[in-house]
Amino acid sequence: MTPAADPTRYRPGLSALPAALALLLLATPFVGLLLATDWRHFGFAHGDGGAVRVSLGYSLIALLPIVALGTPLAWWLARHRVRGQWLVDALLLVSLLTPPLAMGLLLASMYGPYGPAGHLLERAGLLLTNSAPAFILAQFYAALPYYVMAARTAFEGVPRELEQIALTLGYSPWRSFVHVSLPLARLGLAAAVALAWVRALGEFGAVLIVAYYPQGIPVKLWVNLQDIGLDAVYPLLWVFFAAALPLPLALGMAVRRRLS
Amino acid sequence: MRIDYRIEHPVALHASFEVAGFTVLLGASGEGKTLLLSAIAGLVAARGEPFDGLPPQQRAVGYLPQGHALFPHLRAWENVAFSLRGARRREQAMQWLERVGMAGLAERWPASLSGGQQQRVALARALARRPSLLLLDEPTSALDPVTRDEVLAELIAEVHQAGIPALAVSHDPALAAVADRLVLMHGRRIVQIGTPEAVHAQPASGAVARLLGLRNVQRGRIVGAPGAQRLSWPEADASLRVETALPDGTAVDWHVPPAAVRLHDPAAAPDDAIAATFELRQTSPHRNYLGMRCGQARLWVEPPVGYELPAAPMLSLPPDAIRCWPVEEHA
Repeated sequence: MTPAADPTRYRPGLSALPAALALLLLATPFVGLLLATDWRHFGFAHGDGGAVRVSLGYSLIALLPIVALGTPLAWWLARHRVRGQWLVDALLLVSLLTPPLAMGLLLASMYGPYGPAGHLLERAGLLLTNSAPAFILAQFYAALPYYVMAARTAFEGVPRELEQIALTLGYSPWRSFVHVSLPLARLGLAAAVALAWVRALGEFGAVLIVAYYPQGIPVKLWVNLQDIGLDAVYPLLWVFFAAALPLPLALGMAVRRRLS
Repeated sequence: MRIDYRIEHPVALHASFEVAGFTVLLGASGEGKTLLLSAIAGLVAARGEPFDGLPPQQRAVGYLPQGHALFPHLRAWENVAFSLRGARRREQAMQWLERVGMAGLAERWPASLSGGQQQRVALARALARRPSLLLLDEPTSALDPVTRDEVLAELIAEVHQAGIPALAVSHDPALAAVADRLVLMHGRRIVQIGTPEAVHAQPASGAVARLLGLRNVQRGRIVGAPGAQRLSWPEADASLRVETALPDGTAVDWHVPPAAVRLHDPAAAPDDAIAATFELRQTSPHRNYLGMRCGQARLWVEPPVGYELPAAPMLSLPPDAIRCWPVEEHA
């Protein structure tokens, strides 16, 4: 007797074709990169090492305020319905929609030396133009809305009943959040952190305007292109991938391991 | 323990009754039973005693929601230890699990436990909090029908052993049957309170009879003055002899026990017997029922053992076996 075929087993049918095409299209630019890189004369331009340090170091620092401020906001949005909530939603969407270059200009107009906030902060000794804090500021604005959106979805997936049960078991709302909501949302939150990391690290437009210096990788790619040419772009791009990929890749794999 | 709670939103509800031993609040879906439990636990806005005005974390209740709500990221013993503190929390959790017969499965994740096992872990978790009142929402709903009675007996034995008053809300007559005390809710009001024996002996209304799961609760109307009354049963297009003190024209819910209904051969049937057709047979280890179609209605009959059903049976309902309740106006 032959075992019956499992009817629930996934059989690649017609969906395989568009899926394969999508993968192919995704891979095309990177195949181009493989072919275009001059592997025999693989070398770095002056300052590339510094750009890598700037990008990695400041992106890690930017993650701290993004997570520290974005997590409570995401939880609040997931758990509360208030009048005028559409305004909050609209604000998040506008932040996502604003072209990065325009966001840079807006940041410069508020936090720059002639901007109202920048003027005050400069007096307090915090220079938000062409400085490390300016760099982190631009990354913060680039990544925060993405983090909040993803983290909100993660919290919305936590059954409210479980948080309530924690209350009936004597937990304060804060302890219930720490011991129930956070652990149950951890996979989605990990994905949100990965998304924020990718967004912060890859940000070009806003950083270009408010923090041309210190130069991170995206701006340095642009500088290399202007000053030297394409051959100086590709090696730095390889380094960028090598540096940026491990964190989100590991988080993503951890998430999928948990789900399977 | 006296429960007296008033809720305004999302539905208006006022409930006041005594919880003693294993008390079951029986009511149909949509009566606001779960809402009442949430209010007592402090999870929805309400006023009432006990625990008035306290936040949920300060109310000494053990709440077992429908589906048990075990924390999926914690093992069975960690769920029980959730409300425990200190170095001995694992040891204490194991003692609670021991009590509900679950110590062997302490390391299991909730998803790998059966409905009954999850319920026992949830009970241990609630008891470990040392509550002064247990709240159980539909405790029979997630149980396997085959093992349900045993699991239920286990649950009630544990509640009795814990010595904590327990309030279970349910629409399940099987749960009502094992209660120490029964509170019946209809139309968002408490309509009857008593022991299951007392309530079964004298259901206060047709709605209560339906909640108790009685078969053969029907609608009808009294025709004629006391002494020479008949019960008009429109669904079967029949008129039955009854003996009540209700005035002419009263709309009633009425009930006849299946064992009281007599089956006749057409040749030997009394004059006012009702024609019926056989619909289905329900056989269980305890009782056998015949479902008989009478016009638009179905009447359950419990025939004598070994009874042979005639080809065109007739039914007669003894007047003294028929109980009538006037129908409340809003129903």
